[in-house]
Amino acid sequence: MKRTFAKIAVVGAVAGGLAVAAPGGAAQAAGGPTDQDILKDAETPGDILTYGMGTQGQRHSTLKAVNPDTVKKLAPVWAFSFGGEKQRGQESQPIVHDGTIYVTGSYSRLFAIDARTGDKKWQYDARLPEGIMPCCDVVNRGAAIRGDKIYFGTLDARLVALNKDTGKVVWNKKVADYQAGYSMTAAPLIVDGKIITGNSGGEFGVVGAVEARDAESGELIWSRPTVEGNMGTLNGKESTMTGVKNATWTGDLWQTGGGATWLGGTYDPETKSLFFGTGNPAPWNSHLRPGDNLYTSSTLAINPDNGEIKWHFQTTPHDGWDFDGVNEFISFDLKKEGKVIKAGAKADRNGFFFVIDRTNGKLLNATPFVTETSWAKGFDLNTGKPIYNEDKRPPNPVDGGGASAGQGKPIFAAPSFLGGKNWMPMAYSPDTELFYVPANEWGMDIWNEAITYKKGAAYLGAGFTIKPLFEDYIGALRAIDPKTGKIVWEYKNPAPLWGGVLTTAGNLVFTGTPEGYLKAFDAKTGAELWKFNTGSGIVGCPVTWEMDGEQYVSVVSGWGGAVPLWGGEVAKKVKDINQGGMLWTFKLPKT
Amino acid sequence: MWDDMRAVILGGGDVVFDQRVRVTAPANAEDALNVPVMVDASGLDAEDEVEEIVVFADMNPIPRILNYRPAGAKPLIGFRLKLQQATPIRAAARTRDGVWHVGGVFVDAAGGGCTSPALAHSDPQWERHLGEVQARAWAPAADGGVRVRFRVRHPMDTGLAPGIPAFYLESLAVRDGDARDLGQIDLFEPVSENPVFTLEVSPSAGSRSLCLTGRDNNGTPVLADIPLSWRQSALP
Repeated sequence: MKRTFAKIAVVGAVAGGLAVAAPGGAAQAAGGPTDQDILKDAETPGDILTYGMGTQGQRHSTLKAVNPDTVKKLAPVWAFSFGGEKQRGQESQPIVHDGTIYVTGSYSRLFAIDARTGDKKWQYDARLPEGIMPCCDVVNRGAAIRGDKIYFGTLDARLVALNKDTGKVVWNKKVADYQAGYSMTAAPLIVDGKIITGNSGGEFGVVGAVEARDAESGELIWSRPTVEGNMGTLNGKESTMTGVKNATWTGDLWQTGGGATWLGGTYDPETKSLFFGTGNPAPWNSHLRPGDNLYTSSTLAINPDNGEIKWHFQTTPHDGWDFDGVNEFISFDLKKEGKVIKAGAKADRNGFFFVIDRTNGKLLNATPFVTETSWAKGFDLNTGKPIYNEDKRPPNPVDGGGASAGQGKPIFAAPSFLGGKNWMPMAYSPDTELFYVPANEWGMDIWNEAITYKKGAAYLGAGFTIKPLFEDYIGALRAIDPKTGKIVWEYKNPAPLWGGVLTTAGNLVFTGTPEGYLKAFDAKTGAELWKFNTGSGIVGCPVTWEMDGEQYVSVVSGWGGAVPLWGGEVAKKVKDINQGGMLWTFKLPKT
Repeated sequence: MWDDMRAVILGGGDVVFDQRVRVTAPANAEDALNVPVMVDASGLDAEDEVEEIVVFADMNPIPRILNYRPAGAKPLIGFRLKLQQATPIRAAARTRDGVWHVGGVFVDAAGGGCTSPALAHSDPQWERHLGEVQARAWAPAADGGVRVRFRVRHPMDTGLAPGIPAFYLESLAVRDGDARDLGQIDLFEPVSENPVFTLEVSPSAGSRSLCLTGRDNNGTPVLADIPLSWRQSALP
């Protein structure tokens, strides 16, 4: 018998190659949340259908049963372990629908859990290739739900749709090449039947993009690169170029310009705009890329129908500090001098709290929310540009002065590259009209180095050491009045804050700490009212919802993220925190 | 043990032990990662059509191995499986009247087949070859069946090796040139790495090739054309 097989076909992981996926089109599947339900998520406390607890991302609940009078009795109902050996970096926000909690774990895992009992319904573990390149830990920030499907991104830069009841994969689309440094850590956003995602890989010279796919079929509808000179697509054809080629970039650097949209985005139904933050330009060494480097370190307002950019606001032009600009842009009504302005706010890595007119991108106010912003004196409200302290830009290595040949002179700058605020989302309360910002007080020694682009290799051209600014604390939860930029109250935490914030109509603010505590504060005064130790550091986003007439609070616990990996002297302060992976759920005892 | 297997794997339904369901495997598994098995229920087929064949190993940590529905094929399937310890390997063929006809053999094994990592993972680039297919079909024998054999590159991770989640092909299907279903296979974790299957199919007279489709539990698609070379003349 002839044992050799003729090699006749080699078909690998072809995207969309098979008819096994669900039928195409934007048909709404029965039995799950509709597009309307998703848009109204912030008004329906019985479920949590979106990352941000509403597409605007305010992370505010109308529930009041848990309040300053009752919160002291808040007690755990159940806890669910993510199991296995993969206990680290749980940055997820749970999704809650119809008695089921959907929560993602580190290493691209998704769990469906009975919200009443904590029993596991199903679990999906993506089989990741060995060569994944997550810059800043193996995290995932959450899932998205629509119809009968639940979606999440994986560390090998894929978007996966699963049946929400069985956990079976419906489709799995390659979004980008993980071997070039791409990955996907943000929660997807769903608007009008489209699933909209950003990408990750900011330290590898990738080009950032926002992409919209048909939520049913997973087929690409449009893509919008974030770096000028790159071409967008719409319905399989080239659409328009992002910006004007070489307007703010020299040579061909725009081809590896960074601007990763690694934190995903928010959506404002009133102005029909997507808001996506864009990451740092690549490489870090700013002397290699003269110009403003649009649209890196910016917020982009994008038309969800076709991916066209409506406006942009660049928070750090010609970023030389990895200040990035991905931080979430939260839509809110700014009530000022008798008027209501459709505004949005962003607490940037660069240490400034921006209030922007969300209809046109005009800067309304920019104030520091950390004690030191050495790189800029402030912002010119007429031009929207920073007033730089030029001596605080890391010098050109060509001028020498560094510790060794090829290194530039080191300088001390604040905030550090991990930011006045990093990925962890703030919250806005329409009741108190305050933003609650999880800030960190740290600076860095930073110096530039020579670098050339190589596919799949880190593309930094800088060295750095992070240093705390104060002996007694790094983290600071701050309540900020968007009308004035004034800090109304603050809570100081010894370790850096790395978890999201939740606020409720019950006059409470919740956030977690690396020390392991989920804490509740009075939203008006900042008084600490309650805390519970979850056993590992909290770097996830707390949520609250109502079920069977009772108010529940859930948060994931599991230390990790960028701080222990990149934190320099700060990492020493958190080295004794144990890792974990647990979803905790709380409620008030029945009276 | 058998009572449990019968309840869990076969559910209700009448069950008879039937020597016409022939399971061929080595008495001793030299390589617990690759135990060759041939299931042939064609002795039954003459009197009553076989709708589905279910293969399982009583003592395996994951007893289910595969289901095969030979809609346009002989009730015959050859493959390789992983064994964790000595166990009966059984095949149950369900005929149209709903009766399960069970045959089997006992295979001795040193063990460890299900809890070892796939050999593929010694290559950090394994993912580049995922889902690749090698296949060949042979011209019909006297009784008219087309023998086809295919291999799909896949680690078939059982989820029992430390730190590696279950990652396996869960479905494969063969269609003829008229898109008619010839055979469908549901695979489970114990099927060997880079699964190889031998089937005997009856494509339509006009078929110039077979189409193999499938996917794994992560949604990775498999797609390949298997030419019926003797039907493809030099010039169309």
